[in-house]
Amino acid sequence: MDKTTLDGLLSLNELRLTEEETESVLGAFDFMAGKEKIMDGIDTENVEVMVHVMPMNNVLREDVREQPFTRESLLEGAPEHTEDSWQVPRLVK
Amino acid sequence: MKEYITKTGSGNIAVDDTLLTKGIETTAGSKILSGFVPLFSADAVERAEKAGYTVAGKTNVGEFGLDLVGEFSYYNDGDEILHGAAAELIAKGEIKGALEVDLNGAPRRAAALSGTDFIKPTYGTVSRYGVIPCACSGEQVGAAAADAQETKKLLTAIAGHDGKDGTSLPAESYDYACGKEIAGMKVGVITQLFDTASEETKAVIKNYAEKLKALGIAVEDVSVEEISAAQSAWQILMAAETCNNVSRYDGVKFGYRTPNYKNIDELYIGSRTEGMNLLTKATVLYGSDVLSKGRYFTCYDKALKVRRVVADKFKELFKAYDALLVPACGKTEYKKYDIGKAFETVYEESAYTAVPNLIGIPAMVTGGVQLMADHFGENILFKIAESAEGTDK
Amino acid sequence: MKYEIVIGLETHVELATESKIFCSCGGHSNHGEPNDCVCPACCGMPGMLPVTNKHVVELAVMAGLMLNCEINRCTTFDKKSYYYPDLPCAYQITQWFHPICTNGLVEVETKNGISKIGIKQIHMEEDAGKLVHDDWSDTTLVDFNRTSVPLIEIVSRPDFRSAEEVLAYLEKLKSIFRFANISECEEGAMRCDVNISIRPEGSTELGVRTEIKNMSSLSSIERAIKYETARHMDALERQTEVLVQETRRWDDIKGKTFSMRNKETAADYRYFPDPNLMPIVIDDEWLAKIKADMPASPEEKAAEYRELGVSDKEIELLISKRNLCDLFDALRGKGCAVADIVSWILTECAGVLRKKGQVLDELRISADKLARIIAMTSSNEITRGAGRKILVAVLDNDVDPDKFCEENNLAAQGDESLINDVVKKVIAENEAAVKDYLGGKTKAFQALFGGCMKQLRGNGDPAIIRTQLENELAKLG
Repeated sequence: MDKTTLDGLLSLNELRLTEEETESVLGAFDFMAGKEKIMDGIDTENVEVMVHVMPMNNVLREDVREQPFTRESLLEGAPEHTEDSWQVPRLVK
Repeated sequence: MKEYITKTGSGNIAVDDTLLTKGIETTAGSKILSGFVPLFSADAVERAEKAGYTVAGKTNVGEFGLDLVGEFSYYNDGDEILHGAAAELIAKGEIKGALEVDLNGAPRRAAALSGTDFIKPTYGTVSRYGVIPCACSGEQVGAAAADAQETKKLLTAIAGHDGKDGTSLPAESYDYACGKEIAGMKVGVITQLFDTASEETKAVIKNYAEKLKALGIAVEDVSVEEISAAQSAWQILMAAETCNNVSRYDGVKFGYRTPNYKNIDELYIGSRTEGMNLLTKATVLYGSDVLSKGRYFTCYDKALKVRRVVADKFKELFKAYDALLVPACGKTEYKKYDIGKAFETVYEESAYTAVPNLIGIPAMVTGGVQLMADHFGENILFKIAESAEGTDK
Repeated sequence: MKYEIVIGLETHVELATESKIFCSCGGHSNHGEPNDCVCPACCGMPGMLPVTNKHVVELAVMAGLMLNCEINRCTTFDKKSYYYPDLPCAYQITQWFHPICTNGLVEVETKNGISKIGIKQIHMEEDAGKLVHDDWSDTTLVDFNRTSVPLIEIVSRPDFRSAEEVLAYLEKLKSIFRFANISECEEGAMRCDVNISIRPEGSTELGVRTEIKNMSSLSSIERAIKYETARHMDALERQTEVLVQETRRWDDIKGKTFSMRNKETAADYRYFPDPNLMPIVIDDEWLAKIKADMPASPEEKAAEYRELGVSDKEIELLISKRNLCDLFDALRGKGCAVADIVSWILTECAGVLRKKGQVLDELRISADKLARIIAMTSSNEITRGAGRKILVAVLDNDVDPDKFCEENNLAAQGDESLINDVVKKVIAENEAAVKDYLGGKTKAFQALFGGCMKQLRGNGDPAIIRTQLENELAKLG
């Protein structure tokens, strides 16, 4: 992991690091690079990925409409909002 | 600063701060969720209340539960919470039990270090509805109490099918009674985890093994080569899923917003940078990297395959053993450490706890040790723990 | 040099469901009040978990079948990550690794003949919210009503060679989806990303490709393709600029495309399988059930009606909307004559709706009740005028036709002596019309007939009036 790639990741994740933190995170990446190699010792040829540990299929719900929450209650904790919408700085000038 | 319970009020269980409680501020130990008051309670909380438990209050957690060692909560106020807040209250006898989210083994460690009991049940048996999510594929709500009997009672109350969680298993409820005789059971000690532990921890394991032998259980060493790869795989999956799940905290909809912004980018970056600690940031960045175009197949996809290999390996192991006996953490005492090294420290500690999260098997901490069983093997774990506790008396 | 345009389309279609794809909120793209169809999940709050709406899967399979796709028997959902204020969780649940349908084919007809358009895949996904830029407060307002509304994205192969083919294709999709109740395809419910490049005719290599994102009106799509084609030609012929592979947006007011910010286009979406959503397995039984529930295509229906003697103009009206075909078929099942069905739906029902300011699309009537009205009029139990009155009452208040008829005394007057009195009276009072009729102006008969019907308050048995009027007039002649 180099500084440029890390900058790309910071941008993708909307984060910023101080110089000291950058060193720490680069250290973490180096550390994990070593740990990832351990997985090479496991033969995964012809092994299917396992996304779900307890396999099930077709967990579906019927197409029924419900509206138990009010707009007012959802907006209540918003940092900035109007009567009916969340509010952010203007995106398009 | 946010108020957490330190003593019981009228309630008898604590709920950790990664579980939603309707009308009570819930922050997952993070500044970015400060002021977030949920509109509904977690399914596990509702079930516990239906079964007659009452919520005494919320207990602090390391930010998002990522901090296995339990120190780095925004609401820590300078104090160390190395043992986990809920476990301490149980140990002091202030509360009967606690509901805690097990993402990476933090509640298991806390129980081991405070001499209380905690069970992380089989994945899918307790609803994750109302869990502040990090790694959805492996985190589970578990039950903590002073002994195995009380732990079993609390788990029985919260386990069962929930239609609001698409990974919830179909059984309406679970009966943890165990028909199998204790004498004649077979328990394996994973040598890879025993060998790396401190001398004090080894002594705790040996001591527990002796108790099991006295009960007529055969205890033997078993080598599991895949342990380190399992730990690595869980770190990769957990980091990636966490990155994705905490991306929703951006200062727009609820929780913390930076006061210093002129445009949306500054709002996002300021809120997230000020709102989350370095361990979370390192986890997010690493998790983002393993999902990136060049890395997905060599790293994330590989981890998903390693998960299957490990799951198959443990299925085999549980054909030979009723349970596995391992430490819940490497040492019996921990000192405050620097957040700049948190990522590595947490990783090293996860050696003991990663497998049950990775492959969804139940794991119970009791008497300072950790027991693992096959899927739906909670009854075996309770039987062993209760019997061992009985010999204590 | 002659150039060839190569276009591929990604078409997003909002599905016609009651609730969203992963939560139970209602809501669709044209909802009125901001944020009145939202729940904690829609606004990104932690704790709720997605559970897939079964109907979404069925509609996606139906769409796949109608576009001649292979239906993948095991299909899964993935997460796609990026930041934008209209995306509350900063991820979208979509299908990246195992989409529900693949390898389809659509035939489209333009003035140049029939072209075959390949479908690479169809996948299910959730929509994003809407942003409104507010001049007054100089802020952007975020509305999550559209968040998690179910979409299918239909990805075509780069098989289009003209804007005309693109428009014909989109019109065809609209007609198929509306007909099968897969989507209302209202304004904004169908949106396109257009991938476009040009190359020398005969070349097999693709030129530099640009993608124009998120257009919903057919006229914008047509103009954008024409603009972009000209821009590419200028670049190749006159070196006006160097083309780069990029994402652009269409500005409908300026009539130009413009390049999007680099940050938005350079995104790495970091797709990975969603651990909260289990695989969906479509077995033979389920697939057979979806097929059985699937309506005929508009073309098949049109052929069937043509066979029954319905005119082309009437067919066009009937197959524009599935509810009309369903009503037509139900009425036939109840034994109504084709001519009666056509005239009652397209003339009478349409007339009543028009007076209410509605269109035929909005027709909601019980086939049983309309069949009863048709039966009563065709057997002369009631007059057509009385039938119309009953129809209005059924459409307004869903009354029972027989009861309404009885309560309002609408049964046709069949009392011969009463009718005879009326006929004689009308003849006596309308000397001029009688004179015209006897003088050979047959039209005058209608005036006299109408006069009788009026005297009988519209309820006279038309057959009896006709016979008696003819008899009485014959006596005078």
